[in-house]
Amino acid sequence: MKTTGEYQPVFTGPRRAQLDALLTRYPTKRAALLPALWLVQEAHGWVSDESMVEVAETLELTPAYVKGVVTFYTMYHQHPVGRHFIQVCTTTPCHLCGAEGVVEAFLKHTGCADLGATSPDGRFTVVEVECLGACGFATPVLVDEDFIEGVTAEQVPALLRRYP
Amino acid sequence: MAEQHDMVTLTIEGAPVSVPKGTTILEAAKRAGVLIPHYCYHPGLPVAGVCRMCLVQVDGVPKLQIACATPVTAGQVVRVFAPEATEARKGVLEFLLINHPLDCPICDQAGECELQDYVFQEGRARTRYTPTYPKRYNPVEDFGPDILYVANRCILCTRCVRFMEHAAEEPVLNVSERGDRAYIGVHPDHPLDHPWAGNVVDVCPVGSLISKDFLHKARAWELDKTGSICPGCSQGCNVALETRQNAVVRVRPRPNAAVNRYFMCDHGRLNYRWLNRGDRIEAPLVRRGAELVAADWDDALRQAAEVFAGVGGDVVVLASPGASTEALFLAREIAGAGFRGAFRVERVQEEHPLAGVPNLALRGERSPNVRGALVTGYTEGFADAVAALPKAGAVLVLDERLAGVAPAVLASTPVVYVGTVLPDGVRAAARVVLPIANVAEEDGTFVNRDGRVQRYFQAKSAPGMARPAWWVLGELRAALDRGEPLASAAEAFDLLAAATDAVGALTYDALGTRGAVLERATPAGAPR
Amino acid sequence: MGFPHKPHPKETVVLSQYFGDPEARSYTGWVKRGGYTALKTALGMPPAGVTDLVKESGLRGRGGAGFPTGMKWSFMPKEKTKPHYLCCNADESEPGTFKDREIMRWTPHALIEGCAIAMHAIQAEVGYIYIRGEFTEPIRIMQAALDEAYQEGALGPNALGSGKRLDLYVHRGAGAYICGEETALMNSIEGKRGNPRIRPPFPAQVGVFGMPTTVNNVETITAVVHIVNRGSAWYKSLALGNPKSTGTKLFSVCGHVARPGNYEVTAGFPLRDLIYDMAGLRPGRTLKAVQPGGSSVPIINREEAEACLLDYEGCVAVNTMLGSGGLIVYDDTADMVYQVMRLARFYAHESCAQCTQCREGTGWTVRILERILAGKGKMEDLALLEDLGEQMTGKTICVLSDSCAAPVVSAMKRFRPEFEAYITGARKPALALA
Repeated sequence: MKTTGEYQPVFTGPRRAQLDALLTRYPTKRAALLPALWLVQEAHGWVSDESMVEVAETLELTPAYVKGVVTFYTMYHQHPVGRHFIQVCTTTPCHLCGAEGVVEAFLKHTGCADLGATSPDGRFTVVEVECLGACGFATPVLVDEDFIEGVTAEQVPALLRRYP
Repeated sequence: MAEQHDMVTLTIEGAPVSVPKGTTILEAAKRAGVLIPHYCYHPGLPVAGVCRMCLVQVDGVPKLQIACATPVTAGQVVRVFAPEATEARKGVLEFLLINHPLDCPICDQAGECELQDYVFQEGRARTRYTPTYPKRYNPVEDFGPDILYVANRCILCTRCVRFMEHAAEEPVLNVSERGDRAYIGVHPDHPLDHPWAGNVVDVCPVGSLISKDFLHKARAWELDKTGSICPGCSQGCNVALETRQNAVVRVRPRPNAAVNRYFMCDHGRLNYRWLNRGDRIEAPLVRRGAELVAADWDDALRQAAEVFAGVGGDVVVLASPGASTEALFLAREIAGAGFRGAFRVERVQEEHPLAGVPNLALRGERSPNVRGALVTGYTEGFADAVAALPKAGAVLVLDERLAGVAPAVLASTPVVYVGTVLPDGVRAAARVVLPIANVAEEDGTFVNRDGRVQRYFQAKSAPGMARPAWWVLGELRAALDRGEPLASAAEAFDLLAAATDAVGALTYDALGTRGAVLERATPAGAPR
Repeated sequence: MGFPHKPHPKETVVLSQYFGDPEARSYTGWVKRGGYTALKTALGMPPAGVTDLVKESGLRGRGGAGFPTGMKWSFMPKEKTKPHYLCCNADESEPGTFKDREIMRWTPHALIEGCAIAMHAIQAEVGYIYIRGEFTEPIRIMQAALDEAYQEGALGPNALGSGKRLDLYVHRGAGAYICGEETALMNSIEGKRGNPRIRPPFPAQVGVFGMPTTVNNVETITAVVHIVNRGSAWYKSLALGNPKSTGTKLFSVCGHVARPGNYEVTAGFPLRDLIYDMAGLRPGRTLKAVQPGGSSVPIINREEAEACLLDYEGCVAVNTMLGSGGLIVYDDTADMVYQVMRLARFYAHESCAQCTQCREGTGWTVRILERILAGKGKMEDLALLEDLGEQMTGKTICVLSDSCAAPVVSAMKRFRPEFEAYITGARKPALALA
């Protein structure tokens, strides 16, 4: 496996134990792939090509197979992202309720140049996402693992202050 | 009667057809002579059902069905060219082309492209995806030693992914991303360098996966294709030699369910340049003092016959296990009662199996006809035979290059060399040199490791005066008054069959293009 | 109940009774509210008895397809020769739908109890609750409830002292709408791309890990708890329209309404009451269009909506579908051209890339609509959209491409002048092309 020499393996210590516990839930090792990738993202903040190799070796898969899966699921970051990852729903029901304005407010107040870009201070990355499944609570926003309902453009600056 | 019960009769495009239960509509249609257009389906791979090209109408079923995954049922009425079905396939073709670069003039696949073929057959004359819409663009990617991926031409049929996953059992290809952003991906650290990787180029129905070796080398319609047997190892994969201007420019697998299914390894695929080499013996040569000089066939054959006529003691035949079974047999006939035949073969430790296909591997035994040599009475005691040369009456060398054999060993015994190229050691020692055709230039048979006798066919002409080995040895045999000259490889084979128990009742015609297994063939690997 | 609003008198509150009641979340809180009695009852019945009970109730799948639940269970092999699995579909991803989320947030033990009953009925020892990755809060709550249920012995090697092993796990998705399709969901649990599978084989024969599997939606499974407690006759009696549609249904009402939320009504309830009386339009606005079953179903106009009874048959009668019960309301301010473009964009983003019509057709549909919105459309684009819709319907492995086509084609039929206005220039462009 080719590494930059800086790669920190994920599946050692407590996370190895977490993965081992997960493996008992499924009849195949492959089935632990999605949970394993979540652990990788929790550890590194994103899923690099190197970590795909580690996951592949751990679960007896090939790195290419792992990459095919990683690129299917939009929540796995294929690139490093800001310290806080902000996902704003803009699908139809939220759009009807003004989600575009919320996105604009996030871009403006985070300093992110564009959707998907990270703010110059490395603090935020803002993306639009398709339906977050909380259409009655427009506009829902997912900041890291915090699901926040009913966000309006006006609330954005105060909300951001909670994420230094 | 049991067989009757397992057969299902249905109607495809108005014609009744009976097929075994469990057959898909697509395969049943092939038997009825109807090719249902398809992309993702490949008989050697698991069904994916994703291209949606093989949609057909089945009476009584409201939706169109994919022929590749729908099993036949008794009394089923299938309409391949019903307006709804052709309309649906027209739709698929239009969708497949909206992001396609339409670069047929520079695409290696043009002329053998299933996208081209079906669009010509049933696509729309003009797309409605006007130039005002952008096309997806992805750069060409280097997937491995011999394979380039032209993403823009890809139709995501996933045959390549399934080949690597299910046939090679090494999934180094994937589908990456989703929707119309999807492409075939690799992991950057793990190139497509599997020993059977080249098959992804064959299974690709379009010009997306292409061979670097063949890149821009020829247009498909310039190529002549001839059935042959891969000489790379003892597996005996059925192949097609593709020639242009009397040169082999590409080798591809030819389906044979009993041997290689639809596949061949890269070792066999890429090891063809020697078939075109220019330093061939182009005329019979006879010794005049220190020199070998060109002679005509009559003269050379007469001088060769003199070597073997009335010879006392052993006549040692040092043969290449790459020679045809017919040549091996005829060489034995020429040697007569004193025949002592031996061969040697390159063996490498590691085999490279195609894991998902039973009994298919690049074998460690790197010659095509070891079994043929054994059947015709040769042994692998090459060193012993060489050691016995000084006491022998004569030596016939059959395309064995004699590497490592000291010139002194050859000095005391008359040597007749029947071969394609002339090694230095032979140049000094041979009394007569008879030029023969190589495997691409003659008809003949090899016997693979499982005892399957398989024919190969002439794909190009031999250089100069070189002739097929069966002809040369047949003439020599006639010059020795041991029979009539031979008119064909078939005649040589019939002689061989008559004289060889193991070959028994097999006939050259009956071998056809798929071959037949020797009577009393022992399975490969069993003691011989 | 119209959570997050007060219950409306026209509601029939069954599944949503404890929405907003944090105490119902805990094991003891759930038991205090009558929880786990249904599981106890069911474990005392033969599996086929539970299946028959559900069959008699008339319960139909609440995830979108409306397939009779008891019948689905009865497809599982009676003779168990290999492991059986239950997959609970909590991938709620259909735009407009947010009911399963609330069931999991407020009554996690109801879902666990329902899963355990279903597992008993189909003779599964292992079940997975597949929750979409974005649902961070429901995932936390469900995991905590599962931990409690194990501690209390409701799950595990000897579930509620029955001697039966019932293991139930949360499996977190990672961002893919299509994983709500049952075969894609099974692939996702197996650690694969969430590609729908061709059928046959059907999940009851070859499901997750190649074993017999039943996939049921969260709302469906939760309803089973009440059916076991109160009987199939009671459930069956809840039908205002067609007797083939029974029970209560949660409708997630969203979009242009004053009080968006989950409203629970009896099957066959009039759509007009739900919109006008309960969720309410915004002041001064009039109803323009509705998608009663989530973003995948055909868009209907005001007249059709006012005539619509909310059950499977009632929706079909007005040319649409009940779907998942995600009710998207468009009032007179909605730009239907823009909204269907936005929907098409969703499907183009979510297409798994397998089938040609879907992979290429969804993206093409978006580009045509974008051009129209940019004022660069042509009249023949409308016929083209209709034809693409035809090509994208009924020809693929799953219905994602149908779902992209349905709103577009239905909106063009009902609101054609809006499309034409962009093309003729009567309406100013709504977006600029990149």
